[in-house]
Amino acid sequence: MSDVQPTVTVDARGVACPGPLTSLIKAYRKAKNGDIIEVLATDAGFKADVEAWVKRTGNELLSLTEEGGVIRALIKVTAR
Amino acid sequence: MLTRSLEAVILVARGLGIVLYSGRADTLVLAGVLAQTAANYDMPVRIFVTSFATPYFMKEKPEPKLPQEFMEWGQKMFEGMAKMKAPSWYDMLKDAKELGDVKIMVCSMTMEALGFSKDHVDPIVDDVVGAATFLAEMSDYEVIFV
Repeated sequence: MSDVQPTVTVDARGVACPGPLTSLIKAYRKAKNGDIIEVLATDAGFKADVEAWVKRTGNELLSLTEEGGVIRALIKVTAR
Repeated sequence: MLTRSLEAVILVARGLGIVLYSGRADTLVLAGVLAQTAANYDMPVRIFVTSFATPYFMKEKPEPKLPQEFMEWGQKMFEGMAKMKAPSWYDMLKDAKELGDVKIMVCSMTMEALGFSKDHVDPIVDDVVGAATFLAEMSDYEVIFV
């Protein structure tokens, strides 16, 4: 999924829970279907949180990876 | 258990009801985190502020207190949160309200008992109501008591 170009990147590194998800939602509200949102976060809870959010809202999680303590989520907006 | 019930709340319940009874510093943070999280998940949140939480929802707030038996952990937690630049409980509630359908109601009986009038109420509060108003909305909500 590294070849996917995000429409917007949300940098929530260093932001405490539940801040990263709030940052994602603020970007999501401005997004349209087909957009790709990339979120970078360092909060350990973000992985599970973003999975639950995608499940609840019906958007698509393209990838969820962690490298050097930074969690990177790629979300395809499908439920706007 | 927390994970299971949190999952159930997020996936099943229509909304989250919080009876905020304790005015403890740690409890206020918990209410802020849960309200903001529920708002993140597009769940309506109704907070019923009663008993010892009431003074913290007035314009002039006392300093939130830590329970004596957890003083050591409490201080450590708040120092850690300051280092993480975590927002205050009040800012989390404000964020939650900006983000979603979050309403804060203060118990009219407690207010009167504590000598507060509507003029004392913090602008973050939506309404001063009786428990019946809160409960009437709770039929398909998950309600927690903190």
